Amino acid sequence: MSSTPSSLSHPLAPELPPSGAGEPILELERLYHRWKGPKPPVLDDVSLTLRAGEVTWIGGRNGVGKTTLLRLAAGILLPQRGSVRMGELTPLARGGRYQRQIGFLSAGDRGLQARMRVRQQLDYWARLAYVPRAGRAALVAESMRQFELEEFAERRVDRMSMGQRQRVRLAMAFLHGPRVLLLDEPRNSLDDDGYRLLNAQIEQAAAHGATVLWCSPRGEDRVIACDASYTLQDGRLEPGA
Amino acid sequence: MRQWSEAMLAIMRRDAILFVSYRTQVVSQFLGPLFTIAVFYYISRLLTAKTFHSPGGYFGFVIVGLVIIQILTLSLGLMPGSVRQELISGTIERFLVSAHGPVNGILGTMLFPLCNALLAGVVTLAFANLIFGLPLAATSLLAIPVALLGVVAFMPFALFLVALVMAFKQIASASQFIVSGIAIVGGLYFPVTLLPGWIRWMSDVQPFTPATDLLRHLLVGAALVHPAGIELLKLVGFSLVLLPAGLALLAAAIRYGQRSGTIAEY
Repeated sequence: MSSTPSSLSHPLAPELPPSGAGEPILELERLYHRWKGPKPPVLDDVSLTLRAGEVTWIGGRNGVGKTTLLRLAAGILLPQRGSVRMGELTPLARGGRYQRQIGFLSAGDRGLQARMRVRQQLDYWARLAYVPRAGRAALVAESMRQFELEEFAERRVDRMSMGQRQRVRLAMAFLHGPRVLLLDEPRNSLDDDGYRLLNAQIEQAAAHGATVLWCSPRGEDRVIACDASYTLQDGRLEPGA
Repeated sequence: MRQWSEAMLAIMRRDAILFVSYRTQVVSQFLGPLFTIAVFYYISRLLTAKTFHSPGGYFGFVIVGLVIIQILTLSLGLMPGSVRQELISGTIERFLVSAHGPVNGILGTMLFPLCNALLAGVVTLAFANLIFGLPLAATSLLAIPVALLGVVAFMPFALFLVALVMAFKQIASASQFIVSGIAIVGGLYFPVTLLPGWIRWMSDVQPFTPATDLLRHLLVGAALVHPAGIELLKLVGFSLVLLPAGLALLAAAIRYGQRSGTIAEY
């Protein structure tokens, strides 16, 4: 995937210049995080660079800190030590300039407004992501097409199956054309069709110069082709699956 | 600015969609006050206190208090619970990873409850007027901008409570306690002159008393203790001081949760 020469033409995020394939986009440096209580740090001096056009996979046992690492990268958590940077931007950048570049999928099935319809849900997210009004409806329609959600457009989310909900959550992560995609157990509840759609979107995003970080437990089938893989263990990130 | 306001309206629309999707909730919210009004209407018939010249005097007095209680309960009282619900359902995470950001997002979640509360207050006044014959003053329309100013002055209290939710997760009993306390020191059910001296000072150090006095004056023609200009200045002053403080406290609580990791807990 990294061999595809590409540059990202990003309509929403003029803050950063387009990235050529292989150029660093997101840099996590010497991250340290420790949860309350007499436990060792879940992340200890973890560094990782995510590059344009690349897909990176991180595996590890349950509870080893993969979700914490993703949340730090997304700016949901702030580092107790170390730094998270995207060029000049950090998660504390004013006006959400950092978050405009991030597409985040949390593990599990949370984060949806249960009684909203799929189209409403995606439109709501597009507005929170500051997608300009001019192209918003088209982007919402396109994201429904990408994850084959058109037939559910007017269905309430709480009346959908888990796999269908996961597609809505994925559509939200990809909708605003983020430069960095952070996916926590994205295969959760997806059937083969859903998995095919997800892979297609990941390939397309990478081909356009985005970077993708996929985290999942070691036991989960890892079918996706990736450019780099790591295992998180004892607070450290080691190369290799 | 345009994208900011569109996002704010999106959150308000989201909350409206969720609210009307529970139909019985809509009906009970608007019909419920009818019974409360009836209770106080008949209580007012019993009163012979010299504080009010007639039973109707107390009825008008307490109706405005009830409207404010309603606004406080629907906004201040329910806000911590709804933000806690956002924590539980994980929807607050959407704010954290969005360009709109968590402080703006939470501020946005206050818009629908406040508008809904103002609408409920108008419906309560309409019931009192049409069914129980409460005479409304000719200055009633002026109550709208004063009510909006009052809402801005009340907002910091909701922000303080939400900041506590972000830090400590569960404060439902605290918000009920605060609303009840405001009802006493703000003179919502009875004049603050009836309070003992050692607690009466509290009616002067929060925005609820001037807002209540002004609204009573404009809606039912109650006499003002202080000139209207002074009461308005108090409301503006409280808003100018408390609103930035509330926003700063909320931002600090979110930042604390992000640093410690508790932002993801519920």
